[in-house]
Amino acid sequence: MKRTYTDRIRLPDFPLWDKMQGARKLISLDLEVTARCNNNCRHCYVNLPADDKNAQKKELTFDQIRTIVDQAVSLGALWCLITGGEPLLRKDFFDIYLYLKRKGLLISVFTNATLVTARHVEVFKRYPPRDIEVTVYGVTQTTYEKVTAKRGSFRAFMKGLEALNNAGLPVRYKAMALRSNVHELPQISEFCKQRTKDYFRFDPFLHLRFDRNEKRNRMIRNERLSPQQIVAIERGDKERRLALEKGCDKLIMPELEHVQCDHLFHCGTGKGGFYVSYDGFLKLCSSLSHPSCLYDLKKKPLKHALEDFIPRVRDMRSDRKEYLEKCRKCAIFNLCLWCPAHSYLENGHLDKPVEYFCKVAHVRARSLRRTTGIRRAQFESMITNKAVA
Amino acid sequence: MQPTVSLTQVYKQSRDVVARDVQGEFIIVPVASGIAEEEDEIYSLNETGRAVWEKLNGKKSLKQVIKDLAAEYSGSQDEIKKDVLGIVQELVERKMLVKAAKK
Repeated sequence: MKRTYTDRIRLPDFPLWDKMQGARKLISLDLEVTARCNNNCRHCYVNLPADDKNAQKKELTFDQIRTIVDQAVSLGALWCLITGGEPLLRKDFFDIYLYLKRKGLLISVFTNATLVTARHVEVFKRYPPRDIEVTVYGVTQTTYEKVTAKRGSFRAFMKGLEALNNAGLPVRYKAMALRSNVHELPQISEFCKQRTKDYFRFDPFLHLRFDRNEKRNRMIRNERLSPQQIVAIERGDKERRLALEKGCDKLIMPELEHVQCDHLFHCGTGKGGFYVSYDGFLKLCSSLSHPSCLYDLKKKPLKHALEDFIPRVRDMRSDRKEYLEKCRKCAIFNLCLWCPAHSYLENGHLDKPVEYFCKVAHVRARSLRRTTGIRRAQFESMITNKAVA
Repeated sequence: MQPTVSLTQVYKQSRDVVARDVQGEFIIVPVASGIAEEEDEIYSLNETGRAVWEKLNGKKSLKQVIKDLAAEYSGSQDEIKKDVLGIVQELVERKMLVKAAKK
């Protein structure tokens, strides 16, 4: 038999993931190259105007990005998401993209596709990203532009998307479900699924802005679906329904009632990856914007963040009774959008319950009760004790 | 048709791939199209493959590379030659190695 010296490995099967499990190793980074966007979406938690000079001035320069990326690569990062704002707004997008490629990173790009040109297509064809994720706000001009608040954006989106599709580039699709487009969600889903064998996801969870702009936050709250609407669309999507039912034993856990733990972080944030904001701050995840959870990569080395800063943030604890008694011991904690990052965006504290999230979690839980096999009365008493008034 | 590998030829690593040591795993990541068959593929080189890869820097012919490896590693020159030709053949087929001008 002929001996082979190279193994072709599809990424999901890469043995490195196993090796990294549990260890504090770096796998990925998310690079927010700008907070500016050419659209003005009603629900967006980042977007600043495309011509915002102040935001542009604060953006990491190409050299600063190189310095951060060099450190990440030397520490083992293999994966990089380029996100924004709208990343294609950066005049040096190609420099950044090709630099990351030449460092041996696998690249994902999040874009609204409206700024895609023949040159983007040419570069992506020659130097392929692992995937390009495009968000679909609507499939008619009226709905799309109601969300983006930008005339002509639907036409630009369709043109950009067709260019990516025609070139056979690996496009993934995402939709945000909000009041302005929920009536069109079945058509959006159909539109996306027709264009990909791979992947389509929708997200009905709108969180508030990183910059805490209250006027914009009101717009986001107004776009949020009711808990009943969220559950209805989740139940209406077969894949999502089955995934929720399958994961039910992890999503509804009566044993959490006995938990004695005051740690704030129970997710995987900061394990294996980190987020770099457009102005150069390391965050454990994109949403975690509390000042005590920001680390200035323009001034301090990444290695120190991984070895010291991130573990210290992950070790943060709460002494707020409301959180410890309600959220932390809640059997449906894992069905809830609540997390310290979202809590801070909602109310300025990392450990305060959020009524809207709580209501959504309860309606979701009730929709899954039958799958759990728990009797209704027992189930109601289990979840009602922890409800936030 | 398979590319023919010649002992007198000098080979170098293609600019269309990047080799990296990630947590002790030696991998080759395709940078440009035409290397991987799927978008989400990377390549892993075993220890022998890595030792050969690191010698292929566009400066020495395969014959010289084999001599250098024989001086560094145990094993007969014939075995090393067989390994080197096998590895180079495979990497040239995958377009990870390209011919360099002879020195």
